[in-house]
Amino acid sequence: MPVPENEAESPSTAVLVNNLEVEYRVYHDRVRDERSGLAGRLRSKHIEIVQALRGVSFSVNSGEAVGIVGSNGSGKSTLLRAIAGVQAKSAGSVRVRGEARLLSVGATLKPQLSGYRNVKLGALAMGLTTEEIEEGLDGLVEFSGLGDAMARPLKTYSQGMKARLLFSIATLHIPNILLIDEALAVGDRQFKRRSLERIRNIRAEAGTVLMVTHNMSEIRNTCTRAVWMDGGQIVADGDVEDVLARYDAASE
Amino acid sequence: MLSVEPTQAPSEVIPLRDPHETERLGPYLRDVRRRWPYIWYNARSELRRQQVNTVFGNLWLLINPALTVAIFYLIFGLLLQVDRGVDNLLLFLAVGIFVFRATQQATTSGSKAVVNNEGLIRSIHFPRLVLPLTATLAETLATTLSFLVVFVVAVATGVAPSLTWLVLVPIVALQTVFNFGAGTIAARVTTHFRDTTQLLPFAFRLLFYGSGVIFNVTAYAEGRRWIEILFALNPMYCFISMARWTMLGGSDVTPLVIASSIIWSIALAVGGFFWFRAGEANYARS
Repeated sequence: MPVPENEAESPSTAVLVNNLEVEYRVYHDRVRDERSGLAGRLRSKHIEIVQALRGVSFSVNSGEAVGIVGSNGSGKSTLLRAIAGVQAKSAGSVRVRGEARLLSVGATLKPQLSGYRNVKLGALAMGLTTEEIEEGLDGLVEFSGLGDAMARPLKTYSQGMKARLLFSIATLHIPNILLIDEALAVGDRQFKRRSLERIRNIRAEAGTVLMVTHNMSEIRNTCTRAVWMDGGQIVADGDVEDVLARYDAASE
Repeated sequence: MLSVEPTQAPSEVIPLRDPHETERLGPYLRDVRRRWPYIWYNARSELRRQQVNTVFGNLWLLINPALTVAIFYLIFGLLLQVDRGVDNLLLFLAVGIFVFRATQQATTSGSKAVVNNEGLIRSIHFPRLVLPLTATLAETLATTLSFLVVFVVAVATGVAPSLTWLVLVPIVALQTVFNFGAGTIAARVTTHFRDTTQLLPFAFRLLFYGSGVIFNVTAYAEGRRWIEILFALNPMYCFISMARWTMLGGSDVTPLVIASSIIWSIALAVGGFFWFRAGEANYARS
C-alpha cells in the first residue's frame, strides 16, 4: 500500500517511509559442502541476497509513540536502522524531520575504556558539543544509576549495565526522533520504569518514539499505535489493542 | 471534519530530509568540522586503548621504532656494510625508517577505519570521513611523538641541533596530508575488497626497498639520471630525502623531489576525499 508522497506529507509528519526495500548481502559457507574436499571448500564461499524489507510504507506524526512487533527476522530492526540512516536501502525512500537517533543493544562501545570515556565518545560521535556533555553528565550518572562503575572499563559491565549506559547516552540530549531497538529488554525493573518515563517525557515535548520490543505491556503502557511486521512487510498498523490482538492470535 | 489548526511559522519547521542522502559539499564539511572534538578525543583514546594492557604502555610508541632501527643498523650497517655515500648511517636509517613508518601506519590504520567500525557505523549517523580522519590523526600523534627517538639518535651521533631541523615541520605537515589521502583511499578500497588488509604489508615491503630507506639512492645511481628521476616519482623517497636533508644535509633534494611530494600529497588528499565521500551511502551495507 504505497503512500503517494505529496499526499502523506504534512507539517506534523516526523517519519515518512515509502516503498522501502533493504537487502543484505550475506557471505557464508554452504553447510552441505562441509564434508567435501579442498575443491568443495573453495567453491563453498557463497553470497546470498536476503530481502530484509520488501516494500514498507508508513508515516508517523510528531508526538506519536509506535510499538513495532513481529517474530525474529521480520525486519523490525532493519526498519529502525534504515530510518536512522545507518542501513543502506536498496529501493524506496525514507525521510525524517530533525534528528533520528538509534538506540540498540548491539551498539559498539569501546570495551577497554571506562564508562565516562564511552559516554564522551558516544555523545561526541552524535555531534554534541563538549559543553552539552558536561552539562548533562551529572544527570546522566544519576539516571543510569551506575555510580562508581562509570570509572571502570566497559568490559566489566553486565548486559543490563551496558543497556543503562547506552540509553543514558542516547537520551543525554533529547533527539527529535528516538528509535529503540529492544534496548530495554535486558534492563532491570527500576531501569525500565525510569526509561519508559523518559520516553513519555520525550513524547510530551513533541518528540517521536519508535520502539521494537517483545514485551507487550511495554507497548500497552507507552505506545499510541502499534505496527506488526512479518517477512519484511507491514501486516497490520493501527490501534495498539487491535494490532496486538491480531498478532497474538497469529502467534498461537 | 476536524478543523485544521493554523500551522506554525514555516521557519520553525525543520524540513523533512533523507538520511541516506550524502549532504552537499558545504554542509558535509561543516558536519565533519562539528565532529572535530570527536576526532581529537577518539584519536587520543585510540592511542590509550592500544597500549593499555602492556607494561611499558605508550613507551612502545618509542621502543618499537627504536628496535626496528637497531635491527636494520645491525644487519645493514655492521654486517653487510651498505653505507656507501653515507657518513652517519644510524641517523640515516633512523630518519628513513621513521618517515616510512608514518605513512605505513597511517595507511594500514586507515584501511581498517571503516571495516573495523561497522558497529558504530550501524548505530550512529555521522559523516564517515570522520573515521579515516581519526585514524590519520591517531597515527600522526603517535609518529610525531616517536620522532623524539630520531632527535636522540642525532644528538648521540654528534649532530648538533640546528635551525634547519625546523623545516621538518612543513615536511611532516605535507606528509600528513599525503597520509590522509592514502588512508581514505585504503579505507574505501577495503570495504570493496577485504583482503586489502592482508596485502598491504607486502605492498609496503616492496615500497620500503624502493624508497631508499636503507641505502643512499644517489650513491648507488652513480650519476644515472633516469634512476634518480624514477625514485623522485616515488613520494615516499621524496619525504625521506627531504627529512634527511634537514639533519644530514646532502644534495638528494632536487626541485623534482619537492614538486613530486607536493603534487602527490594534494592529488591523493583531494582524490581520496572525493572518492571516499562518493561511497558514503554504501558503508552501511552488508
